Amino acid sequence: MEKFDKVFSSKPLAWPRGKRWALAGVVGSGNLEVLFERNPQTPDKMDCHVESSIPGYKDSWLAALGDFAANYPVGGTKVTIHDQGAAPIVVTFRLRQAYGHLLNKTP
Amino acid sequence: MSRAHLFHEQTARQRLASLVDPGSFTEYLPPPARVMSPYLPQLDIPVSFDDGLVIGRAKIGGKPVYLAAQVGQFVGGSVGEVHGAKLTGILQAAARDGIPCVLIVESGGVRLHEGSSGEIAISEAMRAVFECRAKRVPTIAVIGSDIGAYGGMGILTACCDFRIMTEHGRLGISGPIVIEKWMGKQAYDSSDRALVWKTSGGKTKYLLGDADVLADDEAVSVAAAIKKLLAKSCPLTLKGLKARHQELEKRLKTFGKTPDPDAIWKALGIADVARATLASATEFAALAKKK
Repeated sequence: MEKFDKVFSSKPLAWPRGKRWALAGVVGSGNLEVLFERNPQTPDKMDCHVESSIPGYKDSWLAALGDFAANYPVGGTKVTIHDQGAAPIVVTFRLRQAYGHLLNKTP
Repeated sequence: MSRAHLFHEQTARQRLASLVDPGSFTEYLPPPARVMSPYLPQLDIPVSFDDGLVIGRAKIGGKPVYLAAQVGQFVGGSVGEVHGAKLTGILQAAARDGIPCVLIVESGGVRLHEGSSGEIAISEAMRAVFECRAKRVPTIAVIGSDIGAYGGMGILTACCDFRIMTEHGRLGISGPIVIEKWMGKQAYDSSDRALVWKTSGGKTKYLLGDADVLADDEAVSVAAAIKKLLAKSCPLTLKGLKARHQELEKRLKTFGKTPDPDAIWKALGIADVARATLASATEFAALAKKK
């Protein structure tokens, strides 16, 4: 198991009213779950915590998360990931999916 | 969710959202609560925010219900200590408040990684089902995905008042691979999907009477079935239990040596097996009535 934390700068996200969290994905083989939570203390930071069952890919994680923080306004968000071997494209897809759930107000 | 989904393709949360009155679902112990398995990290297995079970309260057709939906992709939807405690809790709440409980089952049974804690958890959930049944509070199990209900969850499902299945659902105790390992590939080939579904799938279970309703593979059909059952309950009596045991003995005598599941369908009144195999749930139920 590899665990690490990393904070990225990102434009502030306007959280929809009444929305406190968003979840995407599932912890299954080649998949992951990601939880977005409000973190109003740091409105211009995406605060990440990753737990992965596959060690040794921290550079790829940082690249995927860094890209996401740069491409989407997700400041003021705490991102927690439970991973079971998702490929980088799946990581990007799940982050975007959670972001979509957040804005669409769907569970 | 805007598009129509097939029930067996939906996630646990999508299933709940599409079954209940829009916006009426309140989740208990949602992902941010982080009530997770204390055992899996010791085995270097990643945990899940909800431990593979979504529980909560909602309304269906304006009537209050408690619901639980298993996440089959997380460790096979298995019942660990936390998962089982959530399941037991929602069933106990149903018994306490006299509100029906709907279980969306998708599980291989006890989470063996958690040993006795998982076994105890599932027996506590069973006790809670019987608490509901003693108070005539309806317990309804829905099996609508390929993972189905096996092991302890197969037993728990059988303990409920009613079972709704789609043709994708499967119900049993030992899974196909387990049966193959014990009996040999010649006796039961677990890679033969047609055989597996003809012996444990929704259509066969409906014909045998183990499933009370056969629903189509979509949330509206499952929701309609739930609505019809919410006001009913099935009394649990010694007389009824003895009758059920006799029925199972008779089933063993009648079909115990039958090598081909199609022969069982025919004996149960399905004249045209090929047509019935491809029939929708509604068509199949109509064919099954023409005995």
